[in-house]
Amino acid sequence: MKAVKVFFNGVLNENPTFRMVLGMCPTLALTTAAINGIGMGLATTFVLVGSNLVISLLKNFVPQKIRIPAFVVVIATFVTVVSMIMQAFLPELNKSLGIYIPLIVVNCIILARAESFASKNSVLLSIIDGLGMGIGFTLALLLLGSIREIVGAGTWFGMPVFSDGFSPAVIMILPPGGFITLGLVLGLLNKLTGRAE
Amino acid sequence: MSEGVKLSIKLFIITAVAALALGITHAVTEEPIRLQNEQVSLEARKAVLPDAEEFVRVDLSEYKDEYPNVVEAYQGKAGEDTVGYVFKVISKGYGGDVELFVGIDAREDKVKNVNIISHNETPGLGAKAAGPDFLGQYSGKPVGSPLTVVRGSATQDTQVEAITGATITSKAVTEGVNSAAELYGRLLKDGGAER
Amino acid sequence: MEYVGKIFVILISSILINNFVMSRFLGICPFLGVSKRVETAVGMGAAVTFVMAMTSLITYIIQYAILEPLGLEYLQTIIFILVIASLVQFVEMVIQKTSPTLYQALGVYLPLITTNCAVLGVAIINIDEKYDLIQALFNGVGAALGFTLAIVLFAGIRERLESSDIPKPLKGFPIALITAGLMSVAFLGFQGLIK
Repeated sequence: MKAVKVFFNGVLNENPTFRMVLGMCPTLALTTAAINGIGMGLATTFVLVGSNLVISLLKNFVPQKIRIPAFVVVIATFVTVVSMIMQAFLPELNKSLGIYIPLIVVNCIILARAESFASKNSVLLSIIDGLGMGIGFTLALLLLGSIREIVGAGTWFGMPVFSDGFSPAVIMILPPGGFITLGLVLGLLNKLTGRAE
Repeated sequence: MSEGVKLSIKLFIITAVAALALGITHAVTEEPIRLQNEQVSLEARKAVLPDAEEFVRVDLSEYKDEYPNVVEAYQGKAGEDTVGYVFKVISKGYGGDVELFVGIDAREDKVKNVNIISHNETPGLGAKAAGPDFLGQYSGKPVGSPLTVVRGSATQDTQVEAITGATITSKAVTEGVNSAAELYGRLLKDGGAER
Repeated sequence: MEYVGKIFVILISSILINNFVMSRFLGICPFLGVSKRVETAVGMGAAVTFVMAMTSLITYIIQYAILEPLGLEYLQTIIFILVIASLVQFVEMVIQKTSPTLYQALGVYLPLITTNCAVLGVAIINIDEKYDLIQALFNGVGAALGFTLAIVLFAGIRERLESSDIPKPLKGFPIALITAGLMSVAFLGFQGLIK
């Protein structure tokens, strides 16, 4: 089935974080805790599905020349909607994601999917593609956030993982930890799958 | 119609629809957002002065030059009685601004509770300041004389133990509490506050 | 004099302490993508500096002259990104007409800047921090210089990495990220520079 293939393409084969290395800013900045990773991932998924849906509907209406500004307007609209909903109903999460919510607009994953998938495919497939990519992104953020939170703070989703004697490696939840964790995870995946640049 | 005009019209339509959609969402979420913010702010005030039932905003424009770091003040009331005051203070920490609420019990002239609302301190070091182990030290401190930060164990009533490895953050919070206490004294003297 | 001091603090803080790339994680895509050669890194840095300074000015004016008076703050994201996209396009056209040499040097980087989150980031931070026009401008320039500093240093290291013996799975992005992590450790040292 094509739909299944499209879905798993986003989650695994073309995983936006581990395969395409896109959307690095939120990936590095917000993976200090597992919960932030999930929050950012789901907000991005919502925007991805919404913008993919609208853009595939508009694909015959929008002329080639103005497609980028048109896509950006659509994406920015969905981002603003997400931000308002989070302010109203999830204020805690909104506060910890902070400036990175409006910055979903410039997350390259979303514009890349609009350009390379949604503007060429049917509405249904575009929604599935958005879901697949969004879930792939969310899982990647969850993995990185879990590693950093467990090693750097000794907790997972805020619950202590180790006995009292554990002294967490604070560097992991500081900025350097973000770069180094992602680098090592990418290297490990290359090793496991036998891929290298 | 020339192509340029057509393109502009199409882009205009898209933008107009987008603006409309946002206008609608805004209208729907405006009220919940306002309530949410009020709720958060009220809870933050209640956390540092639990005995108060309602809070009345105090005008600080006279004191702005002298206490630039105190941004808001509230008189906490229970029925007709004034139980204390809550001050919102912004201090310069190690990684940026530290925002804290300081509750002062007017019946005993003591600090009730201190709470940090937002900060940008180093996780694992300065960030510990937001935890109960550090902030709990302020509860019950007298407001008459300024508090000082000491490394190691505190020996006097006006001393606060610094967090290991985060003296700057500890001092920032203490200075914030001192400003609030001082301003509280001024308000009492000038008749702006009552007990 | 105090005002000049404040501006100096904003400048130093945005270049070194809260370096956009190294501690705020803004502008990572071009940081990783356009840092294979020192020359191209310098070009990207120059283009970003120019656009960020202009963006800081224009978005500031739009926010306080149009959005706030009309109560349309919720359109901030959509308007700012459109401003940045048009600004980048405009800058590209002007440079192309007036200075072909400069265009040749910067031309390829300009379209990439629209999706550089550092540009939108600085516009939003200027508003969030309630800077005035001059402070916003200096924050924009400082952030861009910080970005340039980071990307040029990084490109210098990556040029050398190419001839080093690196384990095969780590080649490419992984080693680049680990290198960036070590650089970021060095930038941590600037924290607490200004009290």
